[in-house]
Formats: sequence, C-alpha cells, structure tokens
Amino acid sequence: MAHIHLEDGAFSFQWISIWWTLAIILICLCMYWMKNVKKSNDNKVLTIAGMCTAASFAIFQINIPLFGGVHMNLTPLIGILGGPAVGGIIVFIVNILSAAIGHGGWGMIGANTLVNITEVSVAYFTYRGLIKAKLSSFSRAGIATLAGLLLGNVTMIVIILVSGIQGVTQSRMDILYGLSLLAGVNMGVAVIEAVLTGYVVSYIRKIRPDMLSEAESLV
Amino acid sequence: MNNSQASGHIPDLDLITYYSENSYSFLSKASPWIKLIGLIAIILILTIVKSVEVLVALYALLLLLYWQIGLPVRKLFDWCLLPVLFVLSLVILLMWNETGVPLFSLKFFWFSLTLTDNGLLLVVRLLLKALISMTSSLLFLMTTKYAYLSVMIYRIFPFPIDQIFLMSYRFLFITLDMVDSMIRAFKSRGGGLIKSVVRQSQTFAEIFALVFIRSYDQAERVNKAMESRGYDGTYTTSTEVPQMKPIDYIVLLVFLVVIIYLLLFHNSSISR
Repeated sequence: MAHIHLEDGAFSFQWISIWWTLAIILICLCMYWMKNVKKSNDNKVLTIAGMCTAASFAIFQINIPLFGGVHMNLTPLIGILGGPAVGGIIVFIVNILSAAIGHGGWGMIGANTLVNITEVSVAYFTYRGLIKAKLSSFSRAGIATLAGLLLGNVTMIVIILVSGIQGVTQSRMDILYGLSLLAGVNMGVAVIEAVLTGYVVSYIRKIRPDMLSEAESLV
Repeated sequence: MNNSQASGHIPDLDLITYYSENSYSFLSKASPWIKLIGLIAIILILTIVKSVEVLVALYALLLLLYWQIGLPVRKLFDWCLLPVLFVLSLVILLMWNETGVPLFSLKFFWFSLTLTDNGLLLVVRLLLKALISMTSSLLFLMTTKYAYLSVMIYRIFPFPIDQIFLMSYRFLFITLDMVDSMIRAFKSRGGGLIKSVVRQSQTFAEIFALVFIRSYDQAERVNKAMESRGYDGTYTTSTEVPQMKPIDYIVLLVFLVVIIYLLLFHNSSISR
C-alpha cells in the first residue's frame, strides 16, 4: 500500500482542504454506488466490510520477516475482494485508524485516501479485465496488484509535487528526482505485495471461491 | 494484541484501550468532544506554525501532560520510532541544497549535495510535527473510553460509514487476537526458522488469506446472530457522552484565539 508517510504540517492548509474535499466527494460516490447502483447496502455487506477493515488493519501490524521487515495493508486485495465502492470506504476507515496510531497525519487522510482509492479501483478493474485472458488467479491478482500499486505511487508523487512541502524550496524537478527514488523503493515492496496477493487470492479461490464473486462475476 | 509477533514499534491497541478504560485523570473525566476539538486545534496549529521554538514548547507541554496523567512515556518513545523513520525516509531526500548557510557538502561525480541550516531546520520541524501529532493522538485515545469513541463515530460519520467503522472497531480486537494466535501457532511449529524467501512469502500469504477467510466466516456468523436479535442495519450506541461544561467552552475560546492569532501573525502556509 502506497502511503504518504508525512505527518501533519507537511502540506499547507489549502492543500489539505483540497485533498480532503476530493476524498469526501469520492467517498460520497462510493456510498451512492453502494446504495443505488450495487444495491449492496444489506446488513451482510456492512458486516463483511467491517470485518475486512479489521483484517486489513490487523495484517498491517504483522512484521513480515523479508528484507529486514515489511508491513502491508493489502489494499489491492481489498479492491479485488470488495470492489471499488466498498473498498473505497474500507481504505478511508483504515486511513483514519492508521492516523490514530501515528501512521500518516490526520490532515493526510484525504490525500492518502485518494492514493488508496486509486490502488483499490485499478486493482479491481485490472483483475476483472484479465478474466478473459485465461491467466491463473495468481498471475491475475499479481498483475492487478502491481498495476494498482504503480498507479497509487504515481498518484502519491503527483499529490506531493502539486502540494509542495512546507519549508522545502527545491524546484519541482529536484523534488521529483527525490520522490522517484522513493517510488523505486515502494515498487520493490510492491513486487513482494504482488506475490503475496497472488498467493492469497489463489488460496482463497481454492477454499472460498464465493469470496471472489464481486470481482469474478461477469457483467 | 500483546505484540508477540507485531513490531514493538506499532502502538498496542490493547494497552491503549486498557489506559482509556482505567485512567482517572482530569483529562479522562473531560468531555470527549472538547478533547476532539483540542486534537483538531493541535493539527491546525501544526499546519500553520513554522517556528521551531513554538513546536518545541508545544511538544514539551504535551509530553509533560502525558507523563503527569500517568501514561507510559517509555512506550510512547518506542511507538514514535516508526513515524520518525517514515518522515526521515522522505525528508532525507528533500533536505539537500536548500537556501541558507551551508553546513557541509558531499561531492559526487556529476553533482553535489549541500546541507544548509534551513535544510536541517526542515528535518527538525517535520520531526517535531510528527512527534506532536502522534503524542496528541495517543493522549486523546488513551483518555477516551471505548464507549465514548463509539458514540462519537456514530454521530460524526454518515451511514453506512458509521456502521462499517463501528463494526470494524468492535471486531478489531478479536481479529488482532486471531492473528496473534495464528502467528504463535506458526512459530511454535518452527515457522520462524524458515529462511527461503519463496517459502516465507507463501506461508505469510496463507496466514493473510486465512485471516480474511476467518474474518469473512465470522462476519457471516455475527450477522446472522445480530439479525436474529433484531439488527436491521443500524448499529446504534446508547452510551451518554459527558457534555461540555462551562470550563470546556472557555478552553474552546482559548483554542480559537490561539488559532486566529497564529493565522494572522505566524501563517507559514506556502501558497504553492
């Protein structure tokens, strides 16, 4: 999961307001989609979404002993399991919970929600789009995760470049150069997350294929 | 979670909840609403203020308050390590070649990196802001009872976000315990000794998949149980949250005056 690991005060008040407003608009769209398009406002969907949020946050707390220790929220997996509307709401809540324990500032919730909604949506639509490609579920989930995390990273870089960081006087090109290094490291972690998500989806497909019905049902 | 497998640098939600339920300080008795307003005010101050002196004073004040009401200061420092590393990982790329008095330079083949006093101040400022944000969040969480937080979630967020949030907050502790016991079982069978990257990835993927599958199963069971007891999609909260007292309104006024003063005279918000 790409995340703007900056705390409160890094972005100016104007940009915090703008990213929050955009995130609220997207969350409203997710709510509208859930209620009126997917008609998935029944109790079961809400309970499952609540459990997925708890699971995602709990998984973030596990330190995976690979390359010195990696933490991940498996945001693209949430997109594949829940779809972009439910997934959007889940990542919004996970971002609030993360901010509460110091993982990204409160002011950054808007920007981080935009980054994560990008990941959730891209992963979901890529996974769905690859159904006809006759690939294994491992490959589909891996490709969808990589695509989601790549575009999530791009969104993160664009948000930081547009907002600027208070107190930094470097040119946008210099900032872009620095952020590219960070994005490179993030993409290294994204490869690990893609492999893990591939295994997770294959495993779920064997044990509980009905859990993937959201992404695998053809329109 | 008792952190048997989780990193010791991630705040322990069980411990946070233990303090929130068992703390009897003046802050625990205050209205949760004024504490929330206080947290928002601090976030606004962090966004507006540039002065390192003001930030140091605010951090010292919060630390003093944290220690004075009996919260674990050593744990706080442990938990702060991760946000500090996160900030450093980004700022270490941005602190070079800032305008100001050069402190030292590193020359490479085709470019040089110079650290100036302003570059160093940038690091200090962002680190202080991260520490203040984290400390004030934990102060709020560790002095506000679970039931009060639930009521606040219910009143602040619209449907269905409030329902999903309340469900996840309710099940977070159960899920954390489930993850904890799964990792314990994995380690007790020698899982921690696996060195191959591929095998390690597969094993952790199976654990993650099981977490989702069991959460899904549990959600279905809980939903059936709740529906049989009359759940109609509205998870209501009935606890009465302490209302704001006259003194809280005075505190609110002080916050407002401070923020307006800072906005007028210390607004560092860069217009870009």
